[in-house]
Amino acid sequence: MKRRPSLSLLLAVVLGGIFVGLPLGSAAEYSFRTPATGGYGFDHYIWFFTQEDFGTYIGLSAWLAVISAALTLFVLVPTVVWLNLKGQFFRPFMDFVTLLPLVIPVVALAIGAQTSLPVEWQETELVLSFFYFVLALPYTYRTLDIGLRAIPLSTLTEAARSLGANQLKVIALVLTPVVRGAVVSSVFITLAFSLGEFTLTSLLHWQTFTTWVTYISQSNILGAIALSVFSIVGAIVLLMIIGLVTMRRTRKTVVEEV
Amino acid sequence: MSNPIDLELRAVTKRFANTLALDDFNLEVAKGELVALLGPSGCGKTTALRIIAGLEKSNGGQVLLKGNDISKLPAHKRHMGMVFQQYSLFPNLTAEENVAFGLRMQSVGSKPRKGKALELLELVGLSQLAKRYPHEMSGGQQQRVALARALAIEPSVLLLDEPLSALDAKVRTSLREEIRRLQLELGTTTIFVTHDQEEAMAISDRVAVMSKGRIEQIDAPDVLYNSPASAFVASFVGQMNRIPALIDGVDVVILGSRFKPSVLGQASGAVNALVRPESIRILPASTKAAAAFAARVVTRSFLGPVSQVTLRAESGELIHALMPSSESGHLHAGDDVAFEITDTKILIEAAHVG
Repeated sequence: MKRRPSLSLLLAVVLGGIFVGLPLGSAAEYSFRTPATGGYGFDHYIWFFTQEDFGTYIGLSAWLAVISAALTLFVLVPTVVWLNLKGQFFRPFMDFVTLLPLVIPVVALAIGAQTSLPVEWQETELVLSFFYFVLALPYTYRTLDIGLRAIPLSTLTEAARSLGANQLKVIALVLTPVVRGAVVSSVFITLAFSLGEFTLTSLLHWQTFTTWVTYISQSNILGAIALSVFSIVGAIVLLMIIGLVTMRRTRKTVVEEV
Repeated sequence: MSNPIDLELRAVTKRFANTLALDDFNLEVAKGELVALLGPSGCGKTTALRIIAGLEKSNGGQVLLKGNDISKLPAHKRHMGMVFQQYSLFPNLTAEENVAFGLRMQSVGSKPRKGKALELLELVGLSQLAKRYPHEMSGGQQQRVALARALAIEPSVLLLDEPLSALDAKVRTSLREEIRRLQLELGTTTIFVTHDQEEAMAISDRVAVMSKGRIEQIDAPDVLYNSPASAFVASFVGQMNRIPALIDGVDVVILGSRFKPSVLGQASGAVNALVRPESIRILPASTKAAAAFAARVVTRSFLGPVSQVTLRAESGELIHALMPSSESGHLHAGDDVAFEITDTKILIEAAHVG
């Protein structure tokens, strides 16, 4: 079954690799330099690792990302299922509304949030997860919608209901596993989006990992480069791990059951 | 209908926007009986089935199961197995897991669940495909798994919504016999929705012919065929020749000969006489019987054991006749023949209909 990759594919991979790898590699090379000895070392990495806020902000960002991903999973997935099943009438409305985060400038959203949100809400950074969730909507909603449109949703639902599954079990045990690819992708998008969001966080004067990186980079340029290399590589590794885990599980089920 | 009534629909009405899908619909199904709902598309047969399943809410009337009103019960609590027209297996589950799904919903343990699933797959002859996913099976196999899945929960009523119409002709015939065999074996009360009269006649205890949200007639297949209650039933079940005729007093006059109508009704003047193709007997052209009409052979279609011969009567009407192929060999297009109507009672319909 293994085919030799075509030349054009190979070329694309090489060019893409250079495009991503060259700047990243150069930055990495630069970040390992130790001016004091003229050699290479981990000085700059040790510098930011030992910053007392490092753990705090990376933890906060991860926590916010997890919450917004949970919102996608537990709020958006059932909503889009419902829209496809019974809410056809609202579909044009949803199509439009979920595009708004792309159309409305983040500044407007930030000012709107500051003027309209209750003060108690503005005191907790958890409100950011909600914004991340909303900002990711144009991508997550469409991913899920396309996934759900590709399956005979109403027949599967009715079959499951006639077999004794209530609405909750239909979504959890039938529909979500069937459109698992789309669900995983949309959760991914939310995670990546939340981890990397800078503009809104900064405008609302919150400190998360991304804004903290900008802040401390002002005092140590080499340390900032080291930190950037760390976050980029870290994010790539993280997404690859999640991807591999979900892919492996899929393949495992297939191998086991066939 | 010696068995007690299992399922009953009383005066069920269903409206969609401006159309009346079910109009004061009544149905009684005995325990272990297989009743087919037969009718053209839009007659309300699928709506009736979906109301029984709880997938659709009626606007009025009651659904009773063993005498209990279940009209308000949600679908997942009705305990009815359903097989759909579209392939409805869960694509992420194997055949075995699909069949076991209903038992999983009833919190049956995984061991007995698996046992029951395999037993049912065995019953539909697919135990060797237990580990296959739906996309690795043919349409016929998928519908058999769907049937096993519906039967696995030992449903109070089995609902079949045109389960065969997506399949090709050969598979359709064999699967419908399999459905009947299983249904008899397990004694499951079954409602079978179809628009294919042959399918309905072949496997049902009784067939309900529906039109415009009502049952026109519900009877055993042979009764339906031989004594249809209305022209609609007559022409929907089996093939019919429509021959222009006249009502004259208590007689119906067809091509100049007098017959007795089976039901006179309100009809008068110009009507259509309904005559089954097998009630047309072809005679040699020289026949001089009183009720023999001259005609010319237009075509002869060989259908295996029988042949259909199309004649053009002298008055210009096209008449279809069905006869054993062994007796039709000598007929060729253009031959002059005669024919007679062997029915003693003629069914009539008002001439403007159809």
